[in-house]
Amino acid sequence: MDNLIEMRDIVKVFPPHVVALDRVTVSFKPGEIHSIVGENGAGKSTLMKVLYGLEHRDAGEIIYRGQPVAFRNPGEAIEAGIGMVHQEILLINEYKVWENVVLGQEPVNWFGKIDENRARQQVQQKIEEFQFNLNPDAVVDEISIAARQKVEILKLLYRNVSVLIMDEPTAVLTPQEIPQLFNELRRLRDNGHTILFISHHLEEVLELSDRITVMRRGKLIDTVPAAETNKAELARMMVGRDVLFTSHREERKAGEPVLDIRGLTLADANQQPRLQDIELQVRSGEIVGVAGVEGNGQFELVNTIMGLTRPTSGQILVAGEDLTGADILTRRRKIAFVPQDRGRMGASVSASITENAMMTHHRLNGRFTEWKGLLLNFRKARQYTDELVERFSVSLGSQAQPFKSLSGGNQQKLILGRELMLDSPFVLLDQPTRGLDVGSIEYVHSQILKMRENGRAVLLFSADLEELLRLADRIVVMFRGRMVADLPVETTNVEEIGYLMLEGKHRNYEQEAS
Amino acid sequence: MSKKLLSGLSGILVALIIGAIVMLGQGYNPIATYGALFKYSWGGLYPLATMLKNSVPLVLTGLSASVAFASGPVNLGQPGQFLIGALFATVGGLYLDLPPVLMVPALLLLSMLGGALWSGVAALLRRLFNMDEFITTLMLNMIADFFTYWAISYPLFDRTAFSPMTPAINRAGWMPVIGQFNTSVLVMVIAFVVILFVFNRWTAGYEWRLTGQNSIFARIGGIDINKNYVTVMLVTGALAGLAGGLVLMAGPHRFLKGLGANYAWDGVMIAVVANNGLIATLLYGLFFSTLQTGALGMELITAVPSEFIQVLQAVTVLVIVAGRETIDIIVDRSVRRRKVRERTA
Repeated sequence: MDNLIEMRDIVKVFPPHVVALDRVTVSFKPGEIHSIVGENGAGKSTLMKVLYGLEHRDAGEIIYRGQPVAFRNPGEAIEAGIGMVHQEILLINEYKVWENVVLGQEPVNWFGKIDENRARQQVQQKIEEFQFNLNPDAVVDEISIAARQKVEILKLLYRNVSVLIMDEPTAVLTPQEIPQLFNELRRLRDNGHTILFISHHLEEVLELSDRITVMRRGKLIDTVPAAETNKAELARMMVGRDVLFTSHREERKAGEPVLDIRGLTLADANQQPRLQDIELQVRSGEIVGVAGVEGNGQFELVNTIMGLTRPTSGQILVAGEDLTGADILTRRRKIAFVPQDRGRMGASVSASITENAMMTHHRLNGRFTEWKGLLLNFRKARQYTDELVERFSVSLGSQAQPFKSLSGGNQQKLILGRELMLDSPFVLLDQPTRGLDVGSIEYVHSQILKMRENGRAVLLFSADLEELLRLADRIVVMFRGRMVADLPVETTNVEEIGYLMLEGKHRNYEQEAS
Repeated sequence: MSKKLLSGLSGILVALIIGAIVMLGQGYNPIATYGALFKYSWGGLYPLATMLKNSVPLVLTGLSASVAFASGPVNLGQPGQFLIGALFATVGGLYLDLPPVLMVPALLLLSMLGGALWSGVAALLRRLFNMDEFITTLMLNMIADFFTYWAISYPLFDRTAFSPMTPAINRAGWMPVIGQFNTSVLVMVIAFVVILFVFNRWTAGYEWRLTGQNSIFARIGGIDINKNYVTVMLVTGALAGLAGGLVLMAGPHRFLKGLGANYAWDGVMIAVVANNGLIATLLYGLFFSTLQTGALGMELITAVPSEFIQVLQAVTVLVIVAGRETIDIIVDRSVRRRKVRERTA
């Protein structure tokens, strides 16, 4: 069959030096589910945004239904029949489902008044046509995330879109909701729609797609039929080498408890419990991994340990000192912290590299302050930064350049270096390898193992189970604000942790058998 | 720095050219006009001294706005802080009787105290009731305006005057004049150097700057952002108050109606043009003072009305602010083209 869309030699540059798409050539057939997979930053979303008119290509051409096209904005793309469902759901919460669907293209009667009956009917018809199981009169505020996603899809179908781009739609869904979405997508395909599905979950992609395109660092690696590939091959194409999940840890006895959390409970403004009775100890020379589906209390636990949120009850002790009510600076004497969002919590992107390296040290480490901390000595601060750069092999042009001029991996090395040079007994790592390339991930992993060797207590939050299994001595699982399991890494596996993350309890084989 | 200087100078040049075109369209001679403009602001000791003296309120309120904006707080209360600063200096000048060596510093301190007090009210409202300083400082400007008007109309009114004004302050509180030069300029230079030093070399200045750029990063880094917020509000209020005190003590020596003129809003505008850079604030402050001072001479010699200067100021602001963004866009575009050429060659 002829291709519906051909993208040829697409180049997209984000100045100053990110080449997001590097001569990408790919084609999509009518009536297929075509997945685009790749690590964070591989360029899959950018490629789709270029197609959809949200980003403008710098070179290359797009042929759609035999015609060269260049959509200047998403409106033009939708007009031509290409629509995109974004990760964030963009609906008006106070409006009903049908009102959201027709918004911007309302059927009107003589006086330019919205013809409510006709609009409602048209929406109802679409819902039935695609068997969406939605109530058109429900208020968006009161329906589930999965239903809201359906409304987003319905919005595009209402505009007679034939190509649907889905940007990681499963990221916001619970495991039970995913099969339903997949059924709906298959039904759309059988109806003649083309579905472009962005994801980095290989199992999902293999289950759903007809063809799979793999991207790595802005380049297209290959497009393969889903039936002719497997998870290992896709993973190899994604990261560019065999993915080995071997642990090279040395046996080592853990020492005294450094982090000691006792009965930590946190309720939000609506008295809903966010953390319930958390008990957690991390010993020196020990790495404890925290697993859990995002939104099960990890964010709150990190914020409570760091002092951004006050707990409702319970205690946080670090190296014997009660830090439950302490200010952040007092905590920072004991806690090194690598946040998950480098540009928001980890650095000031427009400040110079030196100024980013100085943070916290300017208060705790007297190396470059004078007159009792009143005055900064920038010459000494640069010396200190040189040392950090050297020790953690950050590659940079000049210290005076802004932080944002560094690549992602070097940004993370600088943050990691800054935090480790604080010499604090406890290290809190929140998704320390998120969005990094493979080389940088390995570097960060080796540094984490080194912390363990140096007798620090490490608490590692990660969404990547392989990472946890590779680094941690123990893995605790969070589920709805509670710690539901504490597993020694030698006796657990991905399946067990995955089950605990989703169900909040151990699998009961006896019960399942009966 | 050199890139900023270049974009600033080219912006001013473009603005002057646009101004010249406007003048040509109106049938005026732009060369003669600009000649008069610069002759009356730079052409000789007295014009230069006048220009410098006129720059004092512009530079100090501009610094106040730049330091505040660069550190986070949106302090837009310079007009009010200026007036309360001037009022404090007036009260001190009327009721204190000290030798000049003590009187001048005392009045300057009082004016700074007045400005800090006024911005402190906004800071307090923020800390207690979480009210945004963006709106409270604007409202406090109104209050300061009417309060000082009342003060000079009733309790401090000069009974011999025909319009609202206070009696002249004690002579010991007048800013001394050395030759042609008013020493208020000297105070401005000292204040500028101190602020520059604090902002760029002190631990506190580092914390203010980093908080202004990314407050959550600063907070997690151990910086007490609430304390710094209050400090920045007080310091920037004191700067605007100092501007008020200096205008009063250097100029009319009494608080009269309209003392604040439009200085403080011009200062906020200068901070915006300078993109909150401190040195840039000083330089643009001098430039705007050049325009405002030269305007009188221009009106004297040519037929161009002095209101034309407002047109020129507005054009300068637009050209420089728009130009700054444009240069970034052009640089980005050329980088992009080069990368694409590398890829497709």
